[in-house]
Amino acid sequence: MQAKQYIGESWKHGILIIGAILVLLPFYMMVSMSLKSQQEIQSISGGLIGAQEVQTFPVCVKTGYSEETCTTKPYIYNYWFAFEKAPIPRYLMNGVIVTLSIFIIQVLVALPCAYALAKLRFYGREFVFSMVLFCLLIPVHGIALPLYVMLAQAGLVDTYSALILPWTISVFGIFLMRQFFMTVPDELIDAARMDGMGEYSIVWKVMLPTAIPALLAFAIFSVVAHWNDYFWPRMVITGNRDLFTPPLGIREFRGGIDSDEFGPMMASIVTVTVPLIVAFIIAQKRFIEGITLTGMK
Amino acid sequence: MHNSKAHIWFIAPAIILMIIILIFPLFLAGGISFTDYNLGNKSLEWIGLENYEKMFSRKTYVKMIWATATYVIVVVPISVVLGLCAAMLLNSLRFGADIYKTIFFLPVMATLLAMAIAWEFTLHPTLGIVNSFLANGCGGVREFILGFHWLPWVDSQQSWYHVACANNMDFPYWLKQKNTAIWTICFIGIWQAFGFNMVLYLAGLTGIPRELYHAAEMDGAKSTWEQFKLVTWPMLGPTTLFVVTITTIRTFQVFDTIEILTKGGPSKTTYVMMYAIFEKAIQQNLTSIGAAITVVFIGFILILTFFQRYIIEKRVHY
Repeated sequence: MQAKQYIGESWKHGILIIGAILVLLPFYMMVSMSLKSQQEIQSISGGLIGAQEVQTFPVCVKTGYSEETCTTKPYIYNYWFAFEKAPIPRYLMNGVIVTLSIFIIQVLVALPCAYALAKLRFYGREFVFSMVLFCLLIPVHGIALPLYVMLAQAGLVDTYSALILPWTISVFGIFLMRQFFMTVPDELIDAARMDGMGEYSIVWKVMLPTAIPALLAFAIFSVVAHWNDYFWPRMVITGNRDLFTPPLGIREFRGGIDSDEFGPMMASIVTVTVPLIVAFIIAQKRFIEGITLTGMK
Repeated sequence: MHNSKAHIWFIAPAIILMIIILIFPLFLAGGISFTDYNLGNKSLEWIGLENYEKMFSRKTYVKMIWATATYVIVVVPISVVLGLCAAMLLNSLRFGADIYKTIFFLPVMATLLAMAIAWEFTLHPTLGIVNSFLANGCGGVREFILGFHWLPWVDSQQSWYHVACANNMDFPYWLKQKNTAIWTICFIGIWQAFGFNMVLYLAGLTGIPRELYHAAEMDGAKSTWEQFKLVTWPMLGPTTLFVVTITTIRTFQVFDTIEILTKGGPSKTTYVMMYAIFEKAIQQNLTSIGAAITVVFIGFILILTFFQRYIIEKRVHY
């Protein structure tokens, strides 16, 4: 019986390990290419990290750097040159600006509305809530074109506003927060009112603190979605490099598979991808919760 | 206490934004699709259904529907089934489940665009490890397994693997070939999506009470498969419905991998709707055609979601 169980268990691990290898394959390729020299990449040799021989990099010399700066180990060169070639910190900062603005505005709009829908009685509440339910069905990427036309008419293409505005309303956020506020006991709010608090202070001083766990999950959901979003920035940012978000940066680095050097290119892609992955690995539980939030009923 | 007018200030911003950002564009897309409007034009003319007629008669758009349908029909079932299998496997493990969970969830988290490029290199005919792995395996175990020589009806001299080996390592140019491009894109789609489904299923599995399995066992359902049929699958009904809907809506919106890897080619085999909207409306400035595609696209999604709501109300019993 014991032995049989072990065999069953190893079978499962065998299948899962093959799956894990397939899943990790592109990650391996990405990291490996960002560490190796061009020759090693082209001859598919050197394993994960390559031989790391000190060498002079011709592309670097051609770009106008001194031979001394260009002579180093491949991994140092790849990452150094990636930062020389493109304003990576700028892209990352744009990503932070855009995702944070989106999240903050979403909360500013959604939280009071959710509170009103959950705890205030007023004429038309059911109608507003059914409007929210209807809007939940509309995929924002699907209506990207009319939104683009509107932004173009307003002269907002190629601005931060274009990146942020369409995402300022999160009906999902409203829905989620409403469901959460429904579980908050009325007594809490009544007590606050007895203490003489106005409705505004109730929203921000009583409801907001109770909603922190739900907000955190929503924050992860929102930030991950917009940090990784490529379609929308691609639509509204046409040429202004100063506004590039990380995915647009990635697209620029790639510049065609026949670009001169793969090492620095992959190094930039790794740099841009890593922050989120590291955050994920550190706070795994919260991330999985936040992203599968859409699975809540 | 209810004489306060606070609620107006609380809901007004949300309502205004919903109308401007979500509802008005629906009508705008509908309106533009009946005209010949292009961005930048001063005037426009009402042309009725012409855009839609073009959409359903021209080869390009027929191919677009095909590519989108193929992608959705392949990616949704496979990623859902894989997600379910992975979840059940992990659930039955004694140790190590968390590690696999993290690994399988990585693709969901990682920037898809970056991963698409990583796949492009992984599958590259001369630089990629996939093709070099295949080339090194000629005549060996890899050829036997991946060439399907173990299937009784496959002639080992005629298998795709053997032929490629014999023709000077002529392995597929995965993303550049007409007959493989869409499948490779599908593969990346599945690779990216199944971890998400797995996590949803894991949550669903924890919700099944243990007693049900004991009861099933007493009723004579001894084997794992019988228990699955009797308990797990019916109990996961609501989860499955949700997983299928959300995966379908997400797969319909595939764009990143197409734009960076194939640009809709070769010969429009991967020309999916989102990419078509982007190419027509933004790159070629044919706004009205783009709007017509948008309307059809939204139509698909709305039908799907209503269908899901309908099934939830009629079929799924908790």
